[in-house]
Amino acid sequence: MTLSHRLKPLRVRLLLLLAVVGPGIITANVDNDAGGITTYSVAGAHYGYSLLWMMPLVALALIIVQEMSARLGVVTGKGLADLIRERLGVRLTALIIGILLFANLANTVSEFAGVAASMEIFGVTKYLSVPIAAVVVWLLIVKANYKWVERVFLAASAIFLAYIISGVLARPPWGEVAKAFVTPSFQFEPGYVAIFVTIIGTTIAPWMQFYQQSSIVDKGLKITEYAYERVDVVVGSLFAVIVASFIMIACAATLHANGVRIESAKDAALALGPFAGRYASSLFAFGLLNASVFSAAILPLSTAYVVCEAFGWEAGVNHGWRDAPIFFTVYTALIILGAGVILLPIQSLVKTMMASQTLNGMLLPIILIVMLRLINEKRLMGRWVNGRAFNILAWIIVAVLILLTMILILVTLFPGFLGG
Amino acid sequence: MPYLSEMVGRPVTDANGERIGRLEDLIAARRDVAPPQIVALAIKRGSDLLLIPYEEAAALLAPAIPLLRPLQDIRPYEPNENDLYLARDILDKQIIDTDGVRVVRVNDLELARVNGHFFVVNVDIGGLGLMRRLGLARPTEKVAGRLGRKLASNSIPWDAVELLPGNHPMRLKVPSDKISELHPADLAALLSDLSRADSSRLLDSLDMETLADTLEEVEPDFQASLVEDMSDERVADLLEEMAPDEAADLLAELGEDRSEDLLNLMEKDEAADVRRLLTYPENSVGGIMTTEYVAVRPDLTALQAMAFLRKVGAEAETINYVYVTGRNDELIGVFSLQDLVLAHPRTPVEQIMHERIVTLSPLDSQDDAAHAVAKYNLLAVPVVDEDGRIQGIVTADDALDKIIPTAWKKRLPRMYR
Repeated sequence: MTLSHRLKPLRVRLLLLLAVVGPGIITANVDNDAGGITTYSVAGAHYGYSLLWMMPLVALALIIVQEMSARLGVVTGKGLADLIRERLGVRLTALIIGILLFANLANTVSEFAGVAASMEIFGVTKYLSVPIAAVVVWLLIVKANYKWVERVFLAASAIFLAYIISGVLARPPWGEVAKAFVTPSFQFEPGYVAIFVTIIGTTIAPWMQFYQQSSIVDKGLKITEYAYERVDVVVGSLFAVIVASFIMIACAATLHANGVRIESAKDAALALGPFAGRYASSLFAFGLLNASVFSAAILPLSTAYVVCEAFGWEAGVNHGWRDAPIFFTVYTALIILGAGVILLPIQSLVKTMMASQTLNGMLLPIILIVMLRLINEKRLMGRWVNGRAFNILAWIIVAVLILLTMILILVTLFPGFLGG
Repeated sequence: MPYLSEMVGRPVTDANGERIGRLEDLIAARRDVAPPQIVALAIKRGSDLLLIPYEEAAALLAPAIPLLRPLQDIRPYEPNENDLYLARDILDKQIIDTDGVRVVRVNDLELARVNGHFFVVNVDIGGLGLMRRLGLARPTEKVAGRLGRKLASNSIPWDAVELLPGNHPMRLKVPSDKISELHPADLAALLSDLSRADSSRLLDSLDMETLADTLEEVEPDFQASLVEDMSDERVADLLEEMAPDEAADLLAELGEDRSEDLLNLMEKDEAADVRRLLTYPENSVGGIMTTEYVAVRPDLTALQAMAFLRKVGAEAETINYVYVTGRNDELIGVFSLQDLVLAHPRTPVEQIMHERIVTLSPLDSQDDAAHAVAKYNLLAVPVVDEDGRIQGIVTADDALDKIIPTAWKKRLPRMYR
């Protein structure tokens, strides 16, 4: 007797398995959001290839941080907010979640700024595009199957490959590019320092650790599968940084080479037109739109989960407003505030994006120190605690990040600090 | 009443008033019925943790906790497996509120003093508890007072609390009464609130019958994710315990290879039933029918039929209807339990059975089943093949499932719920 009538054939299952992209890769894709694309574009346009050398180091730092988050998730079966609350008490939890809430609000604002900017390239006013995007995002998550939504966005993320292609099409001098990757340089100029820190802040953002760890816990990955998960994390991180590098290369080869100054990703998209063709502009804009909407959907959702996870409130879209009031309030408020700020006539979108990255940058060292403390706890991690060399490397990263963050804060507060 | 959070961190002094450390934790003995009783103090002294029996403390509620004797005279407390470290094992952890049937986080523990001993009586899960931990209880109450509101403290009594297995690894895997007495539908709801690790630990502690009942309350794809980590032997036992139609639904989710392995591990008869059900499409009558019905021959007397029911009835999905079949399993009649009870013991069932029977075919849709159930006010509808042979029955709850879905559809992954 055959069972095949109702059982999915193995072939289909394999395809399904392939379709389930790992948490590491998903997180990396959300990482290249509106703020990220803007930062990399501006970096490439203003400083050419001269910042490329930091990208391998950023990749290394990203891998180390995300690997720890993955290991914490797999070994403990708990989310990061959960662990912080259970191990470090209420006060620290309230502090971290408080800052995270603000940082993620700022990030959400910058995602909606990305929506506004990309749609303006297509001639749609932000007073139309942003409210529509906000409503669509809200409905997508509350009414639709999130798993399905995620697949659609992920498929659309293939557009990120377009950045790599446009980087190649821009015909950069490869010899010079290769040399730039291995030639460290530093300029003590406010703009340079700011973009330097912002690149790190946007690539290694604190929400990523929370998001990735929760996804891993949800997937129920076991320690026996950990080797695969590590591959997922490494591949995802490398992918994120490679895409980032190519955005910089594309903008450097076209805009920087021709002395075009830009302020935002929108400028970049528009400015690309004359050098790389109209389609390049549209593609760039569409990529920005996809990234913005994807992240605008994920950030408020993951923030609402983290808040509820930490304080023990009912969470979940299927619970409904009455059963999970705080979850829905946080989720909805982030979207309304995020979209609302963009509609105010006063602010500069670039400043908003930069502000969110600065908050990220300030939160990151705290999160990393907390993670290091958790991951070195024998009672929690057993034999999966950090090795000696790994710890040294991780602490060096923390130290560098703290130093850079302090420089950035000084530069932000006292613009004349570096004599610029 | 005193709260744990207010005591932890207080300095501890010895009999001479000399500071010896600060209170790190309170150790309570977990007992079967009564609330846990504080039996020892865990005191942080430098990097050491001293365990001091409760009797050695002169007072627990003092700003600095004085001990009765000098430290060197005190015999340390001997830890044992009933110990609960209140701050380490319970505070800030998730617990199950068995009254409200939900998973909540512990913001504080409320102690009570009875006859000189302290007991854990309430678990604070409310916002006020959170504010107290943040040192903001007073301001919060003040603001609430200004607004003309009174903040109700939100706490649950200890006897409605069940710890998650992962938070007290010392304890043996004994299914607690509080958990196993819950209705399977409530258990299923709890599972959907727990993380994967916690829900599989909870499932591990259930006996096979409760486990089967609980799984029957959730949708097959959630079932599949729950049994993913179980051994094949346990899943096979579970499938035997479940109704064949539910078992078939679960197997359909597990993939061909594992299903085949599992079916081979199951008992022959049960496996054969499930295999047959698996050949029908999911949303057809065949897909939702069960083979656990009661059928008798027409020449049985009412008395014999009742004896037969007593023998086989426990295994059947329903005994409200008893079907009468001929030599080749062809359905020739049906009588209800009521008909049977009211009949004279020596009457053959032939004379009490109804011969006009509403039937379904295995390939009819689930909607057809729901219509039949609703229109004719039936508790179950028999399913017959082209030759009129009975294949199974569809019970009213399975038929209506599509129209009124189970509350706990499934656990979407947490980020994606």
